[in-house]
Amino acid sequence: MPSPSGYLLLVLHAHLPFVRHPEHDNFLEERWLFEAMTETYLPLLSRLNRLREENVPVKLAMSFSPTLLAMLGDPLLQARYLRYLDQTIELVSQETQRTRWTPTFHRLAWFYYHRLTEAKRLYLGTYRGDLIAAFRHLINAGTIEPLATCATHGFLPLLSQQPSAVRAQIRVGIQALQQAFDRKPAGFWLPECGFSAGQDALLADEGIRYTILDAHGVLFGSPRPRYGVYAPVACPNSGLVVFGRDLAASRSVWSPTEGYPGDPDYREFYRDLGFDLDHHYLKPFLGGDGVRTYTGIKYYRVTGPTTDKAPYDPDRALEKAAAHAGQFLLDRAGQVQALKSVTDRPPAILFPFDAELFGHWWFEGPDWLEILFRKAPSVVPDLAWTTPSEYLSLAAAPQVVDPAPSSWGLQGYNEVWLNGANDWIYRDLHAMTERMSALAAQEMKDPLKARAVAQMGRELLLAQSSDWPFILKNGTHTTYAYRRLQEHTERFYRLAESVERGVIDEKDLVDIENRDNLFPFLKPRDFVQAAHPASGRQRDRAVA
Amino acid sequence: MPFAAAKPRKASRASSKQSTDTVPDTITLMVKDPWWLYAYWSIRPERERSVRSQLLPQEIEGLRIVLRVFDVTEAGARTFDIGVSSLATKWYVPVNTPGRRFRVELGLLTKSGRFLTLAKSNEVTTPRFGPSESDKDKWAVSDADYWRLFGVTAGFGAAADPQELKKLFERQLSSGGLSSPGVFSPGFSPGGAAVASKDFGLWVNTELILYGGTDPKAKVTVQGQAVALRPDGTFAMRFILPDGTQMLPVQAVSSDGTQTRGVALRVVRESSVGQSDSQGTVRPTKDASPKQTV
Repeated sequence: MPSPSGYLLLVLHAHLPFVRHPEHDNFLEERWLFEAMTETYLPLLSRLNRLREENVPVKLAMSFSPTLLAMLGDPLLQARYLRYLDQTIELVSQETQRTRWTPTFHRLAWFYYHRLTEAKRLYLGTYRGDLIAAFRHLINAGTIEPLATCATHGFLPLLSQQPSAVRAQIRVGIQALQQAFDRKPAGFWLPECGFSAGQDALLADEGIRYTILDAHGVLFGSPRPRYGVYAPVACPNSGLVVFGRDLAASRSVWSPTEGYPGDPDYREFYRDLGFDLDHHYLKPFLGGDGVRTYTGIKYYRVTGPTTDKAPYDPDRALEKAAAHAGQFLLDRAGQVQALKSVTDRPPAILFPFDAELFGHWWFEGPDWLEILFRKAPSVVPDLAWTTPSEYLSLAAAPQVVDPAPSSWGLQGYNEVWLNGANDWIYRDLHAMTERMSALAAQEMKDPLKARAVAQMGRELLLAQSSDWPFILKNGTHTTYAYRRLQEHTERFYRLAESVERGVIDEKDLVDIENRDNLFPFLKPRDFVQAAHPASGRQRDRAVA
Repeated sequence: MPFAAAKPRKASRASSKQSTDTVPDTITLMVKDPWWLYAYWSIRPERERSVRSQLLPQEIEGLRIVLRVFDVTEAGARTFDIGVSSLATKWYVPVNTPGRRFRVELGLLTKSGRFLTLAKSNEVTTPRFGPSESDKDKWAVSDADYWRLFGVTAGFGAAADPQELKKLFERQLSSGGLSSPGVFSPGFSPGGAAVASKDFGLWVNTELILYGGTDPKAKVTVQGQAVALRPDGTFAMRFILPDGTQMLPVQAVSSDGTQTRGVALRVVRESSVGQSDSQGTVRPTKDASPKQTV
């Protein structure tokens, strides 16, 4: 087979904030996880496995956030997921009866009934409740190349005042991935593609080989990248390799205006039974407080820019997904053709997406992905799927380019996580980091003290999650984001004071450990201000 | 109600109090984007008093609190002042120059121009914006080729005019990147779908609840389909009731199969859309036909 004229690199970033509330029996926000399991992770797993079984060439890179991994492996949340699934199946069984005289909706009710019972069969039967093992299987088979990411999805450019904060996010993130998949990651996903000077050295120090930035992070690099975003570059001092996101490929899926998910035939996300039906009928299927929310059962399609939505037609939507998959591949081939006059290397086209876009937001997304892989060999026979590591093992040495600070957030920089709605959090986050570094550097002979300081580290990491400032900016669920910031800050200071006074209340510590029970492997030393030369050099640069 | 509603303001106050205890007289500078910085500070009252005590009596009038911005990219670069409110503890600082290194000082500025420092910040560098110089060696890339590379990723192909592409790129960044929401943020609308209707609207729907009871061991069918009985022999079903006529034969057969009881219902729904009066008479409007909904 002749060598390919271009490479396709699909990257999925799977992340959810840590939402686990043992103190309450039926907690609304835990549904974020349950919905993503039913709508995204299970469909992705079953489709990737099916493609493999049928020998369809399939390869992708995928990052797994440590908070998501912690939740997927948590027995309490696993049990609650099953309860949620059973409840939803009960709701759709009722729906199959209620819709009996309206054939369009009757058919949709059965459609959901089959999907949900299939999800349950996959979860219990095929994957035995262990989605981490299911992903590990695909990783070991070479289908998925795993990337690590920050411990709690901290947005690093706004933590970079303190390299110890950045390093802890990176280190704990790598450890979590190793715990889950028994292997050291070559790649690291920077949350929101957030990059500022100095991060490359901190990543390289931890043994990371490559990361991914938004297009302008590479295009505005210095000197000019010879191949634009179509070949990775290497950072000057650290040697960290940086891939750039291809905007055209991203936009066709991502863009709210031009992207595929807005097609009139696709399922409408916002029109949900949870808001349409009589409250009395729905109440047993809502959260503990009975507030109307999404049930995941949606009977309408996007239709157009109107509130007057038409019923969803799964067959028509599937045909559209197939057409869009073909179009996507042809567009990539068009890019490779257009680049022939500009470059002498086969271009690497890399397109990263949030995994939860597929299935949760864009219901047909997993179908689209599956068809993409199925169609590629015939539609674009001279393009090859690959992963960043595999590409690097084949490619010539990269050009040395200093990438530009950037993110994939709105406006391309830090504004989403630093604006009037959320800027107040950094005062606390920075002060907590300082206190953490000081305490973590102390003698840890007393095991109770070591435990308390480790728990402080967990609380600090949880407070640093980029999800809270994102939610505050977005203006939905803000009460929850405030509450989480308040709780982790308060627990952190309570523990700090007890450690400093030398009087640790073990009962209280155990209570906090049981609530925020992620990262059991975490060590206080991960938070110590660096003293070794490599990072000392970085301290100055990192403040950028 | 699972939780008392969070009291956000209180949270932030409580924790900033803790911060001021541990971090005295600091100002921290952060990067927002290539044109804007953000600074936050906390100055203990005793620090401010001791600085103010250095003022001469005639300097009290017209005294201002300012952020003095130093471009420290190279020696002799510009310095400028931004007045801030005396109550402020944070400020967005327009520096308007990508790729430069800055620090700020918070201080008191007298009418005669004397500056008394309250706190000095760290240094930060604004992100570079726009293409850098090309390498001269084997990595050299011409202006035209560079913008062609951009044109392909921006979705304009390689054929477009490089100058036009440059402008398009700037426009694209300023119109907002291609960021994504998380799974938990219903702020994202794939199709721009959540369009609020400006019209005054009304939607009405009907459901039919059918309920009854028999011997707990009997077999009951509704429209020919078996119905599960509760332990006390009662049953209830709920249906969307669309326009038209529904025939509802209900039949119960005793457990030994010897006895049968039946009831048949005929239910009619007929809706019209328009203006109705108190007697239920409807004057239809032009576009009106009742729609099928869940």
